[in-house]
Amino acid sequence: MMMSLFLPLLLVSVLFMNSFSEVRGRKWKGEGTTQNLESIAIGRCYDYIRIVNPAVGEKNCSEIWEAFKSAFINKDPCSILPEDYELFINLSLHTIPANKSLFWENNQLLVNSFADRGRRYMSVGDTLFGFFGDFLNWCGQANSSGLDYESCPTTMECETNAVDSFWRMASITYAKHSSGEIHVLLNGSAVGGAYPQPSFFADYEIPNLQKDKISQVVIWVVDDIEGPDLDSCGIHSVKTLETRLKTLGYNVTCTDNYKSVVFLLCLDYPDNSKCALPSF
Amino acid sequence: MPFQQSSTRARQRTVLLVGIVLLLAALVLAVVLASLLTHGKHEDSPKMLKWKDRGTTKNLQEVILGRCYNYITERYPELGDKDCLKIWESLKDAFIYKNPCNITAEDYQPLMDLASHHIPCNKSLFWSKTNDLVHRYTKSNQNFLTLEDTLLGYMADKISWCGDPSAPGINYESCPKRSECESNPSSVFWKMASKMFAEAACGVVQVMLNGSIEAGAFRSSSIFGSIEVFNLNPDKVSEVHIWLMHDIGGPQSESCSGHSIQRLKNILEERNFKIICEDNYRPVQLLQCVHNPDHTDCRLCTNSTAVP
Repeated sequence: MMMSLFLPLLLVSVLFMNSFSEVRGRKWKGEGTTQNLESIAIGRCYDYIRIVNPAVGEKNCSEIWEAFKSAFINKDPCSILPEDYELFINLSLHTIPANKSLFWENNQLLVNSFADRGRRYMSVGDTLFGFFGDFLNWCGQANSSGLDYESCPTTMECETNAVDSFWRMASITYAKHSSGEIHVLLNGSAVGGAYPQPSFFADYEIPNLQKDKISQVVIWVVDDIEGPDLDSCGIHSVKTLETRLKTLGYNVTCTDNYKSVVFLLCLDYPDNSKCALPSF
Repeated sequence: MPFQQSSTRARQRTVLLVGIVLLLAALVLAVVLASLLTHGKHEDSPKMLKWKDRGTTKNLQEVILGRCYNYITERYPELGDKDCLKIWESLKDAFIYKNPCNITAEDYQPLMDLASHHIPCNKSLFWSKTNDLVHRYTKSNQNFLTLEDTLLGYMADKISWCGDPSAPGINYESCPKRSECESNPSSVFWKMASKMFAEAACGVVQVMLNGSIEAGAFRSSSIFGSIEVFNLNPDKVSEVHIWLMHDIGGPQSESCSGHSIQRLKNILEERNFKIICEDNYRPVQLLQCVHNPDHTDCRLCTNSTAVP
C-alpha cells in the first residue's frame, strides 16, 4: 500500500516543482515579446509605404526598426520613457491629412473598422508609426541586447515600460500633427464613463492638440447595441470633456449614437430593433 | 653652353609634363565616357522584357515575410507550424528568372502545399465584382473568410510580382497584363489559389454578387464563374447562399430572379447543391449604410430624431 501511494505522490511533487520553477523563471506578469517581431514590424513598415499609404513617400524601414529597438534594448524594461522613441518617431513621421483624425477610447476594433485603414479616417493605428506597433508586444532586458520573449512588465508592475511609453509617444505625436475637424469616438456603454480619466486621450492627446490648427472637435458617443446607455452628450463624463475642450477654446459638437457608427455595430446584431431598416 | 643646356632640359621637361597631362586628360575622358555609356546601358536594361502593367512591388520579400508572420501570429495562431521563410522561398522560386509569360501551375505547387490551411465549415465567402464591400464586411465580421482572408490570399493581396530571364531575375519596372499573356505569374497564382479555396470549402458557402452592374451579377468569365463554381466539392458543400447586393441608391440591374442568377442556379443545381438567394442580405446592407447613413434606404425604423 505504501508503494501504491508513493508513486502518485512522487508524480504530484515533481509536477508541483516544475510549475513552481516555471513561475519563478518568469520575471514579469505580462506576455513576452511577440514572436518574429522584427520581421513583422519591418514588413508592416514596407507594407505601409508601398501599399497602404504610398503618399508618405520613401522611408528607410531598417533604420526605423533600429531606432525603434534603440528605445528599449539593453535597458531595464521598467525604465523606458516616451522620449526614448523620439528618433523612431522622427524617422516614421508623415503628414496626417486635415479632417481625418479620429481619436477614441474603449472601442479599438470598432474604430479599426470605421476608419477603414485610413481611407475614411486616419486613427493613430492608421499612421505609419501606429501601424508599426499595433497589437504587438515587446520589451528588452538590462545587460542584454536581446528581446525578452518570455515575459514583459504589465502597466501595474511599472508604467514606464516599453509598450506603454511607445503609445504615449505615439499619442502625443498624433495629437500634435492633427488638424482641421478632429473626431472623437467614445463608448457610451463603458463602465467608468465614455470619457475615462486617466486615459491616453485625456492625458496625452488633448494636452497636445494644436489649437490654432483645429477648426472643430466632433464628439460621437455611441452605445453598444445591446449595452446600457450609461453616458451621453451633455451628461457625466462627456459633459466634463465638453467643458474642458470649450474652456480650452475649441468649437465643440457632440452627437449621440451617430448613425454611421451604429450601422457598423449593427453588423453583429442585424435583427436587433435598433438596427431595423425599412423593408424593401 | 650651360645656360643653353639647362634651357633644353627645361624644354624637354615641359614637353614631358604636357605629354603626361594630355595622357591623364585622355584617361579621365575615357573613364567618364565609359561610365556614362554603361550607366546608360543599365538604365535602359535592354535585356529585361517590357510590359504594360505595374512591376514587382518593391521590398516584396519583406512585405511577404511580414504578412506571413503577422497572419500566423496575430490572426490565426493555430497555424503556428507554418514556416514563413520556406513559404517566401517557394513563392520566389515560382517566378524568379522565368519568362513571365510561361508560368505554370506546377511552378506554384510547392507554395500552395506549404501555405494552404484548413478552412472551417460554413465560413467560405466567395465574391465577384464586390471586392471593396466584401472585404470591409469580413474585416468587421470574422464569421466569414474570403480567399484574401486565408494565408495565401492575405500575403498576395494588392501585391504584384513577375520575373525575367536576365539578372536580377525580378522585374521591378513592369509585369505582363492578362491581355499580353494569360500564363503570367499573377493570373496563374490567383487561378490556382481560387481553385484550392473552392476545393477546401465545406458546409454552407456564401457568395456576394453585385446586382447593380449592367453586365450581370453572375458572369461565366469571372474567376467565380469559371473556376470556383466548378471546384466546389458536392461531397463537402451542402448549400450555396447567394447575397445579391445593390449599391445604395444604385441601379437594381438584377435581382435573385434575374437571368444570370438563374444560370448560376442551373449550374449549381446540376451539381447537386441546394441554393438560396437573398436580395440585399441585411448585415451587408447595414455596412453599405455606414457610407450612406442619410439615404432613404438607410432610415433606421426606430430612429427617434426627425427625418429631414
